[in-house]
Amino acid sequence: MIRLLATRLVQIVLVTALLSFAAFLLIGLMPGDPIEMAIAGDPRLSSEDAARLRALHGLDQPLMARYLAWAGGVLEGRFGHSRLFALPVAALLWPALAGTLELLGLALLLAAGLGVGLGALAALRPALAPLVQGLALFAQAVPAFWLGMLLIILFAVHLGWLPAGGAEGGWRALVLPVATLAFANLAAYARHAAAALAAALAEPHIRTARARGAGEGRVLFRHALPNAAVPLLTIAALDAGALVSGALIAETVFARPGMGKLIYDAVMGNDFNLALIALLVVAVVTMLATLMADLAQRWLDPRLA
Amino acid sequence: MAARFLTFCIALLIATAALAQPRETLTIGITQYPSTLHPNIENMVAKSYVLGFARRPVTAHDADWRLTCLLCEELPTLENGLAVRETTPDGRPGLSVTWVLREGLRWGDGTALTTEDLRFAWEAGREPATGMGPAEFYRSAYAFIAEDARRFTLRFDRVTFDFASLGDFAPLPAHLERARWQVDPRGYRSRTLYDTEPTHPGLWNGPYRVVQVQPGAAITLERNPHWSGPAPQFRRIVVRTVENTPTLEAQLLSGQLDMIAGELGLPVEQAAALIRRTGARFRAEFRPGLIYEHLDLRLDQPPLDDRRVRQALLLGLDRAQIVARLFEGRQTVAHTSVNPLDWPHDPDVRQYPFDPARAAALLAEAGWRPGPDGIRRNAAGERLSFELMTTAGNRSREAVQQVIQAQWRAIGVEARLRNEPPRVLFGETLSRRRFQGAVMFAWVSAPEGVPRSALHSSEIPTAERNWSGQNYTGFRHAGMDAILEALPVELDREARRALWRRLQAIYAEELPALPLWFRQDAHIWPPWLEGVRPTGHLNPSSLWAEQWRAR
Amino acid sequence: MRAGLGLLGLLAAFAASAPWLAALLGHDPFAPDLFNRFAPPSAAHPLGTDELGRDLLLRLAHGARVSLAVGLAAALAATGIGTLIGLLAAWRGGWLDAVLMRLADGLLALPALPLLVILAALDPSVVGLPRGEPGADMLRLALLLAAFGWVGVARLVRASALSLLARDFVRAARALGVSEARLLWRHVLPGLAAPIAIATALAVGGAILAESALSFLGLGIAPPAASWGNMLANAQELVFQAPLAALWPGLAILLAVLGCNLVADAISRGR
Repeated sequence: MIRLLATRLVQIVLVTALLSFAAFLLIGLMPGDPIEMAIAGDPRLSSEDAARLRALHGLDQPLMARYLAWAGGVLEGRFGHSRLFALPVAALLWPALAGTLELLGLALLLAAGLGVGLGALAALRPALAPLVQGLALFAQAVPAFWLGMLLIILFAVHLGWLPAGGAEGGWRALVLPVATLAFANLAAYARHAAAALAAALAEPHIRTARARGAGEGRVLFRHALPNAAVPLLTIAALDAGALVSGALIAETVFARPGMGKLIYDAVMGNDFNLALIALLVVAVVTMLATLMADLAQRWLDPRLA
Repeated sequence: MAARFLTFCIALLIATAALAQPRETLTIGITQYPSTLHPNIENMVAKSYVLGFARRPVTAHDADWRLTCLLCEELPTLENGLAVRETTPDGRPGLSVTWVLREGLRWGDGTALTTEDLRFAWEAGREPATGMGPAEFYRSAYAFIAEDARRFTLRFDRVTFDFASLGDFAPLPAHLERARWQVDPRGYRSRTLYDTEPTHPGLWNGPYRVVQVQPGAAITLERNPHWSGPAPQFRRIVVRTVENTPTLEAQLLSGQLDMIAGELGLPVEQAAALIRRTGARFRAEFRPGLIYEHLDLRLDQPPLDDRRVRQALLLGLDRAQIVARLFEGRQTVAHTSVNPLDWPHDPDVRQYPFDPARAAALLAEAGWRPGPDGIRRNAAGERLSFELMTTAGNRSREAVQQVIQAQWRAIGVEARLRNEPPRVLFGETLSRRRFQGAVMFAWVSAPEGVPRSALHSSEIPTAERNWSGQNYTGFRHAGMDAILEALPVELDREARRALWRRLQAIYAEELPALPLWFRQDAHIWPPWLEGVRPTGHLNPSSLWAEQWRAR
Repeated sequence: MRAGLGLLGLLAAFAASAPWLAALLGHDPFAPDLFNRFAPPSAAHPLGTDELGRDLLLRLAHGARVSLAVGLAAALAATGIGTLIGLLAAWRGGWLDAVLMRLADGLLALPALPLLVILAALDPSVVGLPRGEPGADMLRLALLLAAFGWVGVARLVRASALSLLARDFVRAARALGVSEARLLWRHVLPGLAAPIAIATALAVGGAILAESALSFLGLGIAPPAASWGNMLANAQELVFQAPLAALWPGLAILLAVLGCNLVADAISRGR
């Protein structure tokens, strides 16, 4: 177990280093120079101003030198300054990460809860299975930005029950974005939960429990769910990267600051430092989550070890 | 029906609830977030808008496009003796200009605002390592003399007609910022209080000061107790950023926003439709402005190097119809880059009304004959085809672009559409002149702004010039160069009028760019809001926020 | 299965019928008509017109061609790459497996959408694709989506291939001296048909959804070509002016993805 943990951690470090280089190249090679963009916005910038600003931002260095300087800084714990927001990258990152985790966490909880509930329903009442399946298929097929807008029009504009997004307003502002994201992810959980529960319910120890006269609810919650939790955990962990993509859509439609929007803005605004660090933070969090899920799986299900 | 009625009841309830409380807060929606709050670093509309509430420059153009004093007592002129012609140390004609600050000006922490704060701004701006934007002003203003705490003089190494305007040059709080800057001018950009502690009251000298910043989302301002001008009515102003315009509209409709600022708001057609649907719930003012939508053309490559082709392209566009149908008539068709509302405008300038027959004749004259697929060909058999680009994701421009494509097709011209995100379009394709054909985008200018950077032959971006300059089309015209050099240094208004007339004549004849229209800003206000005066140029309406009132 | 295939067949037929529909209705879905914007449904325009006065039904049919083609091309490319890598990892095992799978993990861990935006902004002529051609635009988008889509397929294929390679018949075949290439081609790959088919079906739906998300961010299929994604994104911008315009492309996407998922489901249950 320790050996596995050590190997995987080393692998994560290596992959992160590789990803940082790949992402740096990708963002660096994307056409578009921030200083030229500033010139387009301000006719008074002269040739000398352009040279001076380029040197000031280190943009006159070759790409490789810039990467090494950046990587060296990060290794010493200096995440640098965001050119776009004129703030230290760290100061921007943590609030955005917190906002996204709140949004995604709630959406995942809701999706998983509903998904497992629906899955359990399908597993216990096979007659209802097609209905659950239909709902799951439907949920997966709706473009999230469309659903988000429809929810805004219905609940915020026509009914006036909830705010149309924004960062203020506490839990009420969270309802619609969480619902949108949860709906988009519901399908995966409902299907996997149904499959996992059906598999778990077919296990011999469940039959033993039933034979001992345990009620259906008890069988479900005490015996089947823990077993089914393992594969569900793995999907959740693997999905984290895709979830941030989904968060970008939700954050745009609902005008909430967060990681998805931050990365998008940084990429589009040519903000190297911010884009790279934010991308890598998401990647590292995801890989760590995958690792935890793997460990949990081994711990819960000793047969895998 | 029942549901509709219920909705109506709820809306009514909310409306009455809102009426019951005094209007202390004004919540404003805009579509962009300011990148930095430092007044002298970078230049963007969102920043000007937010800073308009909290910090005042010495001079600005008002809603009537006239230069006015905000912090000074009177505008310097040669007549009132505040501006004096002189000779620079190296023997060129120069100007010494004096401004006198109003009495009682204070920063938000109570410290007096003096010429020392202007001296600091001047010193920081002159230092190349500070990283302020354009250094042009600081190069030209070669000496700063503080005569006393309220009176200061700048000496310029040239005589320009707009000498009284200090533009973006505004006081910086020396008592807070000087020490930070002095330690390390190079690092000042990242250590300025404006970005590290924007809620420090001493940074602000306007009627409001920043009290809360949520990066990417919102900036909250509250009344500045040390503001010496007329007291603003709203205690608190919240400026929220919502980039997605349908969401922006939804937030307005759901009551989360009181108004949408025209400077960075809804597209005119969306605003007009909103007002049509909601009746008396909101008020809209469409303010014609100095935002010039046009097509920059590649003048040094065939087929657009031929003036007849350019003129034919403009004759083939039914701009009046596009404005009427797509924008509900709420744009002003442009004939040159000079706005009809700006005084130098020449009403007799050559115009190109929609005339496909003349367009066809001109194209035929230029050697482009109809081909088998409806697209014209020249003697060598090449098709009359080029790329038409604009900013990807800007749906209003993409719609216009498709109409232009269709209208040109009708005169036998093929426009191949290719769009790029702003970062690529402005940061490379335009700036390095990598486009082929035409690019649709807009300029924003100040009243009587001289278009030197877009039209002077020395402003064509090249690698040697570090890609500076905005003459993306590659326009070279000796007559235009001479006018652009003579205009800024001509102090006599009537003499300038003659120069402007010639400038427009050349523009309309040569068509370095195809003029489309001047955009209007759509300001959406609640019916109870009064006193907002949209300007239509770079100085935002928020510079006069103390006049805003709730009825 | 039948329902899913039927749904997809119907949409494909709709896409194929675009030229006949245009001939029947007698107008060009790419020619703006400024006097006929947001027209309500009528005999000439069964679904009404869009913000530039173009027929919605015809654009929907042309959009079906683009969206289904992009979806299918992206899915096939992703499955191709994914199968190759998944099979390679399972077959060679050892460090190659570890390297490939960690790479896959890394790629999966990155939020794809912002990166797709970067890639979508690249000038296609830099990598040798012609610029400005509608076909090239579709190909470019399909390749981009495949560049991130292969990971899921590779993981699925690897897992299935690992279990197949551990089976007795593989060992028997090896003992009989069957070459490794033949072993993979004749014995392992056929056993992977079902998971590959499922992955492909899901990938088609995923690509159609991803194209719509990119269109929402402004970097999907470029105008004047129609795709369901860019129609939906455009309509959503005008949602207050013409609420119905967003309904049809949204519904089309929903049905197409639903069809793909039904097919995938049916295959997995039929196994």
